[in-house]
Amino acid sequence: MLIELSRGITLHPGSFTAVIAPEKKILAALNSNADLQRFLFLYVCGNYSRILSGIGRTSGNFEVRRPFTADQLLTVIHEASHTIVFIEHDATLFDGAERLFDPIASALKQAGREAMVILWAPASDRSFAALIRQADRIIEIIPEGTPQDRFGFASQRSCRKGGAVPRAQKTLEV
Amino acid sequence: MWILDSAFRSGGVDLWHKDGTVQKCHHEYDPPFYLQLPDPDLHHEMIEALEEHYRAEPCTFTTIFGECEGYRVFAGRPVAEAIEQQTQFAAQLFNVDVRRDQRFMAENGIVPCCADPDDRFSPLFEHGLDSMEIRIRDDPDRDQTCSDIEIICGRTERLHGQEREVLADLFGLIAASDPDLILMTDADRWMSKLQVRARVLGLEMQFSRNGKYRTMDSRSYWSYGRVEHKEAALIPDGRILIDTEQSFVYREGGLAGVLMASRLSGLSPNLASRFTPGTLISSYETYEAVRRGIVVPFRKSDAEVLRKFAALKAADRGGMMFQPEPGIFEEVDEIDFTSMYPSIIVLANLSPETIRDPEQGRRGFLPIALEPLLDLRIRAKQLKKTDPAIAGIDAVLKWMLVTCFGYTGYKNAKFGRIEVHEGITGRSRDILLQTKDIAESMNFRVLHGIVDCLWVQGSPVTALQERVDRETGLPTELEHFTWIVFLPLNDGLGAYNRYYGRLSDGSVKVRGIAARRHDTPEYIRTMQGAMLAVMGKATTIAELGGLWDQVHAIYQNAVQQLPSAPAQEMAISRRISRLTYAHRCIEGAAVNAYRQCGVPAAPGMKIRYVVLDARTYRVVPAWDADHFDIPYYRELMERAWIEITYAFRAFRVAGKERQGVPALRMQQQICTEQPEGRVTQKM
Repeated sequence: MLIELSRGITLHPGSFTAVIAPEKKILAALNSNADLQRFLFLYVCGNYSRILSGIGRTSGNFEVRRPFTADQLLTVIHEASHTIVFIEHDATLFDGAERLFDPIASALKQAGREAMVILWAPASDRSFAALIRQADRIIEIIPEGTPQDRFGFASQRSCRKGGAVPRAQKTLEV
Repeated sequence: MWILDSAFRSGGVDLWHKDGTVQKCHHEYDPPFYLQLPDPDLHHEMIEALEEHYRAEPCTFTTIFGECEGYRVFAGRPVAEAIEQQTQFAAQLFNVDVRRDQRFMAENGIVPCCADPDDRFSPLFEHGLDSMEIRIRDDPDRDQTCSDIEIICGRTERLHGQEREVLADLFGLIAASDPDLILMTDADRWMSKLQVRARVLGLEMQFSRNGKYRTMDSRSYWSYGRVEHKEAALIPDGRILIDTEQSFVYREGGLAGVLMASRLSGLSPNLASRFTPGTLISSYETYEAVRRGIVVPFRKSDAEVLRKFAALKAADRGGMMFQPEPGIFEEVDEIDFTSMYPSIIVLANLSPETIRDPEQGRRGFLPIALEPLLDLRIRAKQLKKTDPAIAGIDAVLKWMLVTCFGYTGYKNAKFGRIEVHEGITGRSRDILLQTKDIAESMNFRVLHGIVDCLWVQGSPVTALQERVDRETGLPTELEHFTWIVFLPLNDGLGAYNRYYGRLSDGSVKVRGIAARRHDTPEYIRTMQGAMLAVMGKATTIAELGGLWDQVHAIYQNAVQQLPSAPAQEMAISRRISRLTYAHRCIEGAAVNAYRQCGVPAAPGMKIRYVVLDARTYRVVPAWDADHFDIPYYRELMERAWIEITYAFRAFRVAGKERQGVPALRMQQQICTEQPEGRVTQKM
């Protein structure tokens, strides 16, 4: 079972992958892959989802859980028993809850040993950078026409703020 | 014991009570927090350390879900947070962040601002507070000290002159009068400045009764999709200090509203006047929980249940709306459910612990806690019809009950849960649909509906009301409009929340139009208000047509007088949501203008500005304005005018076109409203 984010870029089970990609790209990947219907899929998002309403899945295997606090997110990750766990990053969950960066990053890593765990954000921010410290892979998809140096800078800046730069693969779409 | 202030000081609770004179009582108080571990054996070393260092004891305590085995630990928040870290956030903690003075009062059956705790839910009460009113005429945005103050305390005194003398006289008057209550304009903005100046000038600030002050930090926060800003505050001990400009509760409910909020929430009036209705209802629930021996969770870690995507889509749909047909209608009744959402919580037994099976028989915490508040609101709403003094109490209760619904879905609500939120809106949709069906079955015409209101044409409306009350189980109220105007959106369809109409008592009720919006310049608000006052004389649509000339004359006169109008009356008041703007805009220019004047702006803060030249985005803070962009304001006037002319459309359509009625093209330019209710100004 694979999710093809873009041509040649696939997500694998048994890993924790951080994805920075435009909403359209993620929506297309989730909506176009009929294979996903066969697997237990958990969609995790906060109070205001960017893409949930655009997901056209009616499969009984597609389930949703919305944590509104970082503590709830930790509970959701601990309790997840799905084949695919897709988390839409919501920075507002971490307002005043920075104490949970490390426990949640560890929980994501732990969950990624058995499931395909994807943490997605359209752009990096301080909390996202902190959560992906233990990610197996970091994939950043740059929209066409966006100056490359601008995004490269943004990504580096985010990592510096959040801590050490992860020693993981970084894939750029040209 | 009538308590007017409380604070946690020196390992105990200070209660300031007035029984003839004001006295302070100190009560030693060292309350524990509660700890539950999923596997205590796994953490036996930590438990032993807690027993050794902090007097931890095994105990049984009660949550809203039932009894729990755990520990009580006599320590503070830092220890609780260390436990969280050490247990990898597996520990459940309770009563860690409950205000200790509030908790002390709740545990001991003490109610602030209330001589007899049994009268806590009575809307009729008196207070014997000696009060003083301080009106500072200086500008809190620009001035760092006060040089012009009016003090009302039995008699009115004006302090004007050199800073040192003015402040010395102010402090002297407070010390001499020794008021229990000070009502002060922009108190929270002035207090820290006064403290600094008093120190510099070697004066002793006399606001506190023991020289001590508590501080509240300023902060910006999100509330209902928009950024709000709360000023820092310096709160004196032993005396009530209310900021008459910034306090929402005081603005809505007056002193009676503040005292009622204090009685209900178990907070001192100083805090009750500074908190939002949401924090007040949350505090009320906390007080009720502690009073009933229920512990209050520290963190909210229980997430919503796992749901199928389709189930979530079906459940998460908000309130029901029926889009109105734009136009003017005669003899319309508005059926309004009284406190619909809280009533649903109580009637349907919706609470986090009962949401899976509300009809199981056991009453939930939220229905039990909210029922007396709801009863009080219903009584206050009745009483205010004959006793205007109750209106403030009713307003505060209304706000608290409105937010009690929102808090069920709020991430930081101690006793909230999103499924309860969805359950309430789900039932409200059913009730509005049921009401519409009842109305239509009785041959009423349903014109419009918003969540808990329905506008209908037909009769007998009292029979309809009786049947709706009986079949839904919820109380309703009726308002009769002799005529009402539903305004259109840009696309020509009816707007949900923009209407005005004449009530049977001759007053005009308005929603969403210039006269009601907060950002409308005073000059335009006055103009539209005058037009509506004239229109209020017409009892029928036909009579309204006869008032066209008078209404048009008001508009013409206002347009003619515009160039000579005071610039201050052109001030636009806006709550800013950010400090940096990607594109040039009037609001961004206003933020910059504030900065250039040395006044720091913060997200959520209200700013007042006058537009000097809209084309070049030249804007000044209101206090600096001596002229304004006449074409820009004329356009704003025209938009307000178009809202009024819509009522006269029928006469024009009938061929009685009158001079000055804007053409249809202009009517379609009625400004669009953003979700926050702001006006999009297209320049």
